[in-house]
Amino acid sequence: MEEIKKKLPLHCPACESPLRVARLFCKSCETEVSGSFELPLFSRLTEKDQTFIIEFIKSSGSLKDMAKDMGISYPTVRNLLDDLIEKIKFLEKGGQNE
Amino acid sequence: MNNRTVRFLLNPFERIAGFQALSWGFLGLVLSIGLAYFTDYHYHGLLHYGSAPNPVWWCFMAEHFIVWLIPALLFYIGGMLLSRSKIRALDVFGTVLFAQIPLLFTNLIVFLPFYKQMSAIDPTGPLQEQIAQASELMLQPGFWLGLWLSLVAFVFVIWMGYLMFKALAVSCNLKGTKLAILFCIGFFGGDFICRIIINLLYS
Repeated sequence: MEEIKKKLPLHCPACESPLRVARLFCKSCETEVSGSFELPLFSRLTEKDQTFIIEFIKSSGSLKDMAKDMGISYPTVRNLLDDLIEKIKFLEKGGQNE
Repeated sequence: MNNRTVRFLLNPFERIAGFQALSWGFLGLVLSIGLAYFTDYHYHGLLHYGSAPNPVWWCFMAEHFIVWLIPALLFYIGGMLLSRSKIRALDVFGTVLFAQIPLLFTNLIVFLPFYKQMSAIDPTGPLQEQIAQASELMLQPGFWLGLWLSLVAFVFVIWMGYLMFKALAVSCNLKGTKLAILFCIGFFGGDFICRIIINLLYS
C-alpha cells in the first residue's frame, strides 16, 4: 500500500497557535528525543513559498529564467520574491506565519 | 470565456511585462494614432477626447505620446519613491502603454457617423446654434444606437483605468494605500498635466 504523504501541520488545529516540535524519532534504532524545539524557518513558510524558494535555487537565482519557466512576467516573479523576503524578515523577528 | 482568459483580460501583467508589453502597446499606439487621424478624434488628456483645432498628423501623434508618457513618468517617479522593490522603467512604461490598448476600441466607435456629427458641434459657439445642432442630431436614426455605443466606449475607458491600476501594482510592486494614492496622482493628476501640455499644441 502506498504511503500517504502527510503535510506538516504548522498551527494547532484547536487554537491556531504555532506548533513546536516535542518529539523526534529515529526510524532505524527507535531512539526518541523529547523536548521543545522550534521548527526551522523554511518549514514555517507555506508550501507555495517553499516551492518558490526551491525553483529559485534550481534556476541559479535567475528571475528571468524563473519567469520563463513559470510562464509569468518578470515583475510578477520579482514581486513574489520581495514579498517572500518581507515574510522571512517578519518570521526572523519572531512573527507568526498566516 | 474561461477563467484563464478573464484573468488575463483583467490583469495581463501577471504574464506580460517589459519589452513584450512595450511592443504590443506600441503596436496599439500606432494603430490608435492612425485611427484618430482618420476620424479626427483628438486626445485632450487621458480621460478627455473630442475635436480640436489642429488637424495635422503630428498633433495626433504628440497627443498619444503625451497621454502615455506623462502618467507613466508619474508612476515611475512615485514607484521609485514608494516601492521597496527595485523597479524597472521598461516595466512601468511598457505596462502603462499596454494598459492603454482598450482606448483603441473607443477610436473604432468614433468611426460611426453619429460621432462625426457630434464632434462637429462647436462647444465654443453660440448656445442657440449648439442646441439646434444637438436637436438635429437627436432626430438622426442612429442616435440611440450611438448613445448606447457611447456607454460601450465608456466601458473601455474604465477597463483602461483598471489596467493602468494593475500595471502600477505589478510594475512597482505596490499595495494598499500607497498604490491607491500613487494611482490617483498618476491617473487623475496625469490627465490634468496632459490637458495642460496638449492644450499648448492647439495654441
